[in-house]
Amino acid sequence: MASMPGTLAFDEYGRPFIIIRDEEKQKRLTGVNALKSHIMAARSIANTLKTSLGPKGLDKMMVSSDGDVTVTNDGATILKQMDVDHEIAKLMVQLSQSQDDEIGDGTTGVVVLAGALLEQAEQLLDKGIHPIRIADGFELAAACAVRHLEKISDSFPVDVNNLEPLIQTAMTTLGSKIVNKCHRQMAEIAVNAVMTVADMEKRDVNFELIKVEGKVGGRLEDTVLVKGVVVDKDFSHPQMPKVLRDVKIAILTCPFEPPKPKTKHKLDVTSVEDYRALREYEQEKFDEMVKQVKDAGATLAICQWGFDDEANHLLLQRQLPAVRWVGGPEIELIAIATGGRIVPRFEELSPDKLGFAGLVRELSFGTTKDHMLVIEECKNSRAVTIFIRGGNKMIIEEAKRSIHDALCVVRNLVVDNRIVYGGAAAEISCAIAISEEADKISSLEQYAFRAFSDALESIPLALAENSGLSPIHTLTEVKARQVKEGNPALGIDCMLKGTCDMKEQHVIETLHSKKQQIVLATQLVKMILKIDDIRSPNDSMGF
Amino acid sequence: MFPSIILLKEGVENSQGKEQLISNINVCQSLLDAVRTTLGPRGMDKLIVNEVGKTTISNDGACILKALDVCHPAAEILVNVAKSQDAEVGDGTTSVVLLTGEYLKNLKSFIEEGVHPRFVMKSLRQATNFAIEKIKSISIRIEDKDKEKEFRNLLEKCAMTALGSKLISHQKNFFGKMVVDAVLMLDETLGQKMIGIKKVLGGALEDSLLVAGVAFKKTFSYAGFEMQPKRYNNPKIAILNIELELKAEKDNAEIRISDVHEYQKIVDAEWKILYIKLDLIIKSGAQVVLSKLPIGDVATQYFADRNVFCAGRVPDEDMDRTLKACGGSLVSVVQDISDLNLGSCKTFEERQVGNERYNIFTGCPQAKTCTIILRGAAQQIMDEMERSIHDAIMVVRRTIKNDAIVAGGGAIEMELSRALRDYSRSIEGKEQLLIGAVAKSLEVIPRQLCINAGFDATNILNKLRQKHSMGKIWYGVDLNTEDVADNYEACVWEPAAVKINCLSAACEAASTILSVDETVKNPSAREEMPERGMRRPM
Repeated sequence: MASMPGTLAFDEYGRPFIIIRDEEKQKRLTGVNALKSHIMAARSIANTLKTSLGPKGLDKMMVSSDGDVTVTNDGATILKQMDVDHEIAKLMVQLSQSQDDEIGDGTTGVVVLAGALLEQAEQLLDKGIHPIRIADGFELAAACAVRHLEKISDSFPVDVNNLEPLIQTAMTTLGSKIVNKCHRQMAEIAVNAVMTVADMEKRDVNFELIKVEGKVGGRLEDTVLVKGVVVDKDFSHPQMPKVLRDVKIAILTCPFEPPKPKTKHKLDVTSVEDYRALREYEQEKFDEMVKQVKDAGATLAICQWGFDDEANHLLLQRQLPAVRWVGGPEIELIAIATGGRIVPRFEELSPDKLGFAGLVRELSFGTTKDHMLVIEECKNSRAVTIFIRGGNKMIIEEAKRSIHDALCVVRNLVVDNRIVYGGAAAEISCAIAISEEADKISSLEQYAFRAFSDALESIPLALAENSGLSPIHTLTEVKARQVKEGNPALGIDCMLKGTCDMKEQHVIETLHSKKQQIVLATQLVKMILKIDDIRSPNDSMGF
Repeated sequence: MFPSIILLKEGVENSQGKEQLISNINVCQSLLDAVRTTLGPRGMDKLIVNEVGKTTISNDGACILKALDVCHPAAEILVNVAKSQDAEVGDGTTSVVLLTGEYLKNLKSFIEEGVHPRFVMKSLRQATNFAIEKIKSISIRIEDKDKEKEFRNLLEKCAMTALGSKLISHQKNFFGKMVVDAVLMLDETLGQKMIGIKKVLGGALEDSLLVAGVAFKKTFSYAGFEMQPKRYNNPKIAILNIELELKAEKDNAEIRISDVHEYQKIVDAEWKILYIKLDLIIKSGAQVVLSKLPIGDVATQYFADRNVFCAGRVPDEDMDRTLKACGGSLVSVVQDISDLNLGSCKTFEERQVGNERYNIFTGCPQAKTCTIILRGAAQQIMDEMERSIHDAIMVVRRTIKNDAIVAGGGAIEMELSRALRDYSRSIEGKEQLLIGAVAKSLEVIPRQLCINAGFDATNILNKLRQKHSMGKIWYGVDLNTEDVADNYEACVWEPAAVKINCLSAACEAASTILSVDETVKNPSAREEMPERGMRRPM
């Protein structure tokens, strides 16, 4: 009995009782201890990400349990790969995930902000302020910051004929990524891709229509935007022509095989004649199928399933190029791009169900035997593919993520064209506004407001630090200038271009993204601050 | 030496007498600590991780107790009383546990002094009945239900009070309105299942939206889905329970084919079965086809060809609500399909919500259902939001059924306490003391509110006692100014039904615990149990 852990309850007769199953195996933290331990966990996550913030932020390399290496500076990806175990740390992972889902960009910033808020909250807790008062104060301050952001936001010209401003914005996003070697080119690709797909009337962009493909080899500069579909497949027979023009495409979801019933069946072959008949039948069927495709007027067959060598040979003989084993999503994209219909049966093929493409060609790469099929000049050019080349797989993966971020930013601008200035200019401006507001509050929330304003400043501080500037010095200078000149576009000059005016540097972020960062971070901080009691199985604590 | 008589099997625990009773009470006391601090707008949340590592963060008393996995028999009564409050009125689960615990605590000394438990229980019942009568007599009704605006206002206030102690307290205006809108959309029976709650990661809490109709997540789709139109005006909706896939019609059937040319016929026959089904659906004029069972790739492409939208594997509850909203009926045999059993709505569209795509039906003719799509930064936040919204929905439903309200924030408890104390003085005998103890117990609610907010509980309580003795019955704790205030004026309102249920449930639970004087516990089938059983009080 003496070995009982301290959490066990005793009644006044000195007898212990067990109320909760396996109580002795549980760990319980309450009150301020619980809060402090949460704050510690959250801060250590935030600190990991801090150095990835901004254009000069560094990348992280993660090796997964089965040896896959990922190099990235995308906050959401880093956290996902870190495989954290602590409950609060998991919340932080979800936080960046939700920013990724909603906006696609700013995933590092949101975690750093949440970490900074918690750091400030810890100091307030030490002052003896009730955690919920702190959380309430933060929430009020966040509302105030959002209002301020709306006030300082600029409207941004999204014009199909003048893509230059959009490209500049995409460049900001890509600035912090590995691809900044060919910065401009990538930005142009992203903008063009979105603008091709965008529905300017509905202000909506369907990402399903943009596909990002990568292939090892070549240089990043070789990355291209294909206004059509790229499929990682080649023609089924090496002797088929490599380039086709004015192609009519039959899109099939049935195999080039004699049809089989789905019901369980059995065919007994008892004699040689039977066997011959079967053989003949099969050949006949192949013949018929190819004929059906040909009759419909198709000059290319794209098939979701495979077909055996015999069929393949027959197709070559009949001069019907074909592609086999094309995946479902690709089939769909091809159908959308070429305006064709997916046909489930040979019997249903008809000329009006065929898709049309101006050019289908097979690409081969360097010395490798890899081939890819490019379908271009389609009837409906709304489906596009971004085709990335790069030195190794990790670079391509990272480039994919970066392009995705850039695509998201451009999309967000199409959806809502209000912007704020980046380089932490918006954060500094909000920090000033909130600390001004703080003086007008008579209650305890004043402290929370000040703390919120301090937390916002941690973003410019981290930016400056990552850029190799003296953080406090730079921040105070910019802050002073913002107050004096009343210009909310002044930020940290990370690229050392000699001006702090982000308007001139074209460092732009969408208003929606900034708002989300602040709102999401505050939400999470409130949740963490509200917890005063944790029970968990003993072994799952810590990292 | 008498030989000992072995009455029970080995390992069976048997404990009895007054000590057992006291021990049970103590168990309840210590369980109480788990939920004590969650009460009120300044209450804190609990984080509970279970063995499989699932995290629950909650402020809801019933939810916490459920997650704790209580195994002590007496403590389980407390868990059950919280559960029953949750099922009956949805809100006030923490209060009911707190109240039970406090009753037991204050009555314990009487038990120790040798008052018979039965007598204690009788007095407790008497006091509870008196208190319930009192609530009924002082609760305020909105006399004129026709004044729609006023009635709505009342509902919103109640919803806001319920939400006040939750994570989303800052958005309580927003969510209060949403909940009232949602409940008012329902028909008289107020079936709670008719309000669907969906959760999508990301976005601000205020981005949550109420859909006057049905919304559900895009189901798994096959190639061809993207080619279907995603928006219809006034579509006809076919709701099926039919598998639209090319497959073996009978599972165990086997065909013997003697001639290879028979092959084609069988294949054709199979296709025909599917095509007949598809044709009938198209002929019926349906533009949106929903099925509980899978819709295969062939069917998807067939529908895409004919500009029809389809979704297979729609979850049951979503289907039920679609049926309720859009009319029509569930069709299990295609031959039955006709204009009569097709549903309709004003608009159907697929919309992007965060990272997910949702099928949304709005403007339904029989819109007796609605869907709330919650947004939040993390799964746990949304889970907690769902529980809070659920509480608020329950409160609003209760209020619609029974429109009497009382002031919250400890006001009603203080008034009951005062009334009971006055009442106790009019009684001769032991009951006087016991009812006095009950009166004292009721003060636990305002006291805990103060403690959770970090106020000086004694001071506030004394102020409240003074106000109530002067006849200001609606004075309660004001958490914003660290003082007392008229909570009726401050619009901190709760439905009287919640309070009445809370009082009677707490009384029942306390009586149950008091009436037990012997526990016989069979050893659990689990192996480690005997060993642990040794530690139990004998």
